[in-house]
Amino acid sequence: MTLANLPSFRHLVPENILVLGILALVGLSLARRPASRRLAGAIAFLACLAALAATALTAESQPRVLFHGLLARDLFGDFFKYLGLVTTAFVILVAQRSRDAIDYRNEDREAPEFYALLLSAALAVNLMAAASDLLTAYVGLELVSVMSYILAGFTPGSRRSAEAALKYVVYGGVASGAMLYGMSLLYGLAASTDLATIGRAAATAPALPVLFAAVLCLAGFGFKIAVVPFHMWCPDVYEGAPTPVTAFLSVAPKAGGFALLLRVFGQISGHAQGLADRSPWLLVLLVVAATTMTWGNLAALGQQNLKRLLAYSSIAQAGYVLLGVAAGGVAGQEAVLFYLAVYLFISLAAFTAVAAVADSGGGESVAEYAGLGYRMPLVAFVLSVALFALTGLPPTAGFIGKYYLFAALIERGHNGGGAAFYIVAVAAVLNSVVSLYYYARVLRAMYIDSASATHQTVAVAAVHRVVLVALTVPTILLGVYWSPLRDLVHAAVGTW
Amino acid sequence: MPTLYYLYLSFALFFIGTAGVLLRRNALIVLMAIELQLNAGNLALLAFSRSLGDLKGHVFAFFVIALAAAEAAVGLAILVGMYRTRQTINLDEVATMKR
Amino acid sequence: MKSQNRVVPGLLALSICSTLATLTISAGSAAATPGPRLRLEPAALTFTHAGEVREVTLRNTGTNVLRIGSTRVWHDGSGVPVFTADPLEATGLLPGQTVALHVRFVPTAATAPLPPGGAFGALLVPCDDDTLPGDPNPGGGAYIGSVALRSSQGPPLLSLIVFFPLLGIPFILLVPRGRESLTRIVALVTTAVPLGLALWMIRQFDPTVTRTAGTWGLQFVEHHGWIRGFPVEYFLGVDGLSVTMVLLTALITVIAVGASWSIPLTQHIRGYFALLLLLEVGMLGVFCALDFFLFYMFWEVMLLPMYFLIGIWGGPRKEYAAIKFFLYTLAGSVLMLLAIIALYYSSKATYLVDGTPTAHTFDMMKLAWANDFGAESPIAGFAFPRIVWLAFFVAFAIKVPVVPLHTWLPDAHVEAPTAVSVILAGVLLKMGVYGMMRVNLSILPEATHWAAQGLAVLGVVGMLYGALVAMAQTDLKRLVAYSSVSHMGYCLLGLSALTPTGLTGAVAQMFNHGTITAMMFLLVGALYDRTHTRELSQFGGVAHVMPRYATVFGLAFMASLGLPGLSGFIGEVLVFIGAFPAWQALTITAALSVIITAAYHLSAIEKVLLGPFNERWRSALAGFDLDLREAATLVPLAIIVIVLGFWPAPLLTTITATVQDLLTAVATP
Repeated sequence: MTLANLPSFRHLVPENILVLGILALVGLSLARRPASRRLAGAIAFLACLAALAATALTAESQPRVLFHGLLARDLFGDFFKYLGLVTTAFVILVAQRSRDAIDYRNEDREAPEFYALLLSAALAVNLMAAASDLLTAYVGLELVSVMSYILAGFTPGSRRSAEAALKYVVYGGVASGAMLYGMSLLYGLAASTDLATIGRAAATAPALPVLFAAVLCLAGFGFKIAVVPFHMWCPDVYEGAPTPVTAFLSVAPKAGGFALLLRVFGQISGHAQGLADRSPWLLVLLVVAATTMTWGNLAALGQQNLKRLLAYSSIAQAGYVLLGVAAGGVAGQEAVLFYLAVYLFISLAAFTAVAAVADSGGGESVAEYAGLGYRMPLVAFVLSVALFALTGLPPTAGFIGKYYLFAALIERGHNGGGAAFYIVAVAAVLNSVVSLYYYARVLRAMYIDSASATHQTVAVAAVHRVVLVALTVPTILLGVYWSPLRDLVHAAVGTW
Repeated sequence: MPTLYYLYLSFALFFIGTAGVLLRRNALIVLMAIELQLNAGNLALLAFSRSLGDLKGHVFAFFVIALAAAEAAVGLAILVGMYRTRQTINLDEVATMKR
Repeated sequence: MKSQNRVVPGLLALSICSTLATLTISAGSAAATPGPRLRLEPAALTFTHAGEVREVTLRNTGTNVLRIGSTRVWHDGSGVPVFTADPLEATGLLPGQTVALHVRFVPTAATAPLPPGGAFGALLVPCDDDTLPGDPNPGGGAYIGSVALRSSQGPPLLSLIVFFPLLGIPFILLVPRGRESLTRIVALVTTAVPLGLALWMIRQFDPTVTRTAGTWGLQFVEHHGWIRGFPVEYFLGVDGLSVTMVLLTALITVIAVGASWSIPLTQHIRGYFALLLLLEVGMLGVFCALDFFLFYMFWEVMLLPMYFLIGIWGGPRKEYAAIKFFLYTLAGSVLMLLAIIALYYSSKATYLVDGTPTAHTFDMMKLAWANDFGAESPIAGFAFPRIVWLAFFVAFAIKVPVVPLHTWLPDAHVEAPTAVSVILAGVLLKMGVYGMMRVNLSILPEATHWAAQGLAVLGVVGMLYGALVAMAQTDLKRLVAYSSVSHMGYCLLGLSALTPTGLTGAVAQMFNHGTITAMMFLLVGALYDRTHTRELSQFGGVAHVMPRYATVFGLAFMASLGLPGLSGFIGEVLVFIGAFPAWQALTITAALSVIITAAYHLSAIEKVLLGPFNERWRSALAGFDLDLREAATLVPLAIIVIVLGFWPAPLLTTITATVQDLLTAVATP
């Protein structure tokens, strides 16, 4: 049912809580200087948890349309809100002890500003998750982008960080320009910005302009999820940005991007006589996905900086997830959602490990990780689990996620999708073998090439230890018993 | 004037913007080219809005203008910061992180 | 710092809470929409004795009239029907109304008093409650409510065997600094328990049970649901083939722990034993799992410990060997994953063990016995069963290893520590052949017929190539590694014949090669520990200074070359007898390898034991004959080799019934 403006606010409690948190942080930064890092972190963390709880408590299986059709409140959107908020909560904790995010060694500089920006980005991800109109989709995506530009350049006086921010702005601007142009074409074709109306109109409009507009839109969404050829910013930004921000970027905006991708293209190509039936749209998606995973994995092979290596790996992972989008149907969408949830834990764990090593004075290059397994056993263990999960090895949740993706592809191939789906499935599994090779390089450094390195145990910040454990437990647990997550995903896809 | 003319113009703007991004290495010019792309989208939105007799396109354009301003502000701020540390805004010279 | 310590527990609690909260919010559960709702009480019934009668209540808890179709009892497995229920014709239930049904457990004469593998079934109630799972089975109702029926199962023996080693891991990690020698004791105990349980199991094992007795001819079955809405099941069980392999695995792991005494305690010994135990879980799980998903998970779980065991505790080129092993095996197993998914989507609709209807199944037994994949549409022009068969074959062939895919094996063996070599040769290689029997042979029989000749050729090539290359080796451990390649070729040849004798020979060869080659690696390791070389040319006359060692060495190598009276002979001769009717020319060619095998084994014995003693090793070897620990690892194996040599009946009778079943599968495509 469609709600008018005022009644809509009742279903917007999580976002309102986030806004209050942001305002409180801004007030804090005005009131005291230097403001306490702990206080700012606590406010942000509590706002995040409260928003999370509010999302869960106000969730209804009945979908609603808010603000005369601008936003949707359904379990599908809520699922992505969980992803964004959980990510933000963890990142807030990690940032407490990361010199490149908040320079706590000197004074707790800019902590409230950092957290206010982070919460704004989380708010924007919520908006992306709920968008049911081109306008809200564009605003959400742009808001996430602008916040990310600032966050990426947040390390004071760091050349790398500034460079990352500049590249991010340039590539991001181009992508949003292309997407806006595509959206304007869709508006012209459908005479509406409402996604459902556009979907109905796309089924009758001539295929070529719709395909052109869809590809332009894909540029914008593809930029957020970092698929080839819109991935160029990704390695530089991941390497240059403060590590907690990298962790955030690797999960939350990607989740938002996939939410939009599924919503927009689900409408445009999902219907009978939609884009998928009348144009090579699925082939475009399959080719983009296959190229992305292959490119990401091959480029990662030669990387020496671990953050950069993980950046390429995350490009590859985005390619895998895009396979689920291409496979479509309930199975494909469930696979996408499942994988994103699993990827949240894995990716955050990997980057938290990097942050913990950096915090204790270690470098970012793979060579400097030599002997880490004996210096920082917990960090190395968590990083290993994360790498195994990224490869997709049981008994980690990464395997289950990959399984659902591959199964969705094969099911589509089996149900008349054609040989292309089988071929891409084979390419995907071969890719995971390739990826093992560079992940194993990190493992080798940590456990095997340890002869030259010191084995003196190094302390890890308590907050990092907490986060590492809290992320690893679900990574393994969901690998052997994933009913709860599967139910959540099933409900999210089912009611959409 | 028919809507199509505006669309031709908007496409030309989009093309020029894209070309500017791809060809120019001065970060300031690149930011301007991005603005051009956004305005191409705006123009198309407005043209469609007028021809369809629907106000949503106008509303959309206002949002785009506001967001483009925000993006430009952030972009320029980053650019200034970059110029202070490196004394250059050439995108090729800025790149130090290795491929 | 203090304040932080106070913050930490709070943060821990909060972050864990938030994780759990997000995981457990089951979003769609909220308000029940009105309509007909079926509730069955109880949800599961366990029967303990024949003739038992239990009552099931059907209740409409909804707001509308519930239409119920005629109920029926469904039996899992190949078995004889043992459950019966009162018939209930199609009817309607008003809201709040109940109906009671009686379910009886009546084992027939064939299965009395209790079916050997346990009985599994479900009472199916077709109805129009749309919250229940829909039934894709032909002839089923629209939606199915179900009550799981089973006979009482006794203790979960297989789960205990498979997962017991996991219990040891925390204890090993908790061993205090400075008391590292305790880790050995803990590891020994935690591996001895599964061995004891496996021995007890094989005593209880009834070798006469075949598929017709119910539950697909399996025993000690554990069959439970696992994930809601996804048809994977926790399905463990053993037949004659897997019970042999479980025993071998449990035995070899204990031997390997004994051989691990030579790993220095300062060398991260906790991690070593923890990984060894994890490896055992994976190996045992592979042999017991009968759900494809579970099987694959166990299969992959073995990879990680093996990678680290070779990579951290291996020899000079350990990194290379470890990553080569890892990549080869992973490449094979991802192919297997795709093949599993393809089989899954081609399988027929059926019911899970608790009666939940499912469109497809991962149940390896149902895939083997209740599905025919010959009619599937071809993939890219290739017949479906053949392409899937090939994917499985490559995955398993890498593990065996079959010759063109064998190159990881010598590297892994040479670099691995002795105990890991023992496990690698003793158990891991068997998994390949086990997989071929369990999957290729029984699930894709017609493709097996199509590929049988190729299989035979690959087997013979492996036998000859392995033997020839072994002859050229100067490194004793490499020689033993290549002898494994050659001996696993026998298994392949026996398999390809598709005759009872050939298959029996292949299984016997698997078991016997496991024990013999473990002895050989232990002996090579013992020599290497003393001299730090494995070069054949460096030795000679060891028999003069180490008589006990020489005795066992001679025994092991004689057994390996197939001397009649020792266990190695049994498998080989059965393979030849079984294969000859099928592939006469090939078998005759293969017989050549017996000569080559004899040649390199005898030459190894000659070079190491006989001839003049190399005085360089006087201080290392003289007076350092096998010590008690080494003897304790070698003697049990030696006894098995000798006993099975002239009395192979226990081994052969255990597998006869299963081999018959396998051949039935192949004979009826």
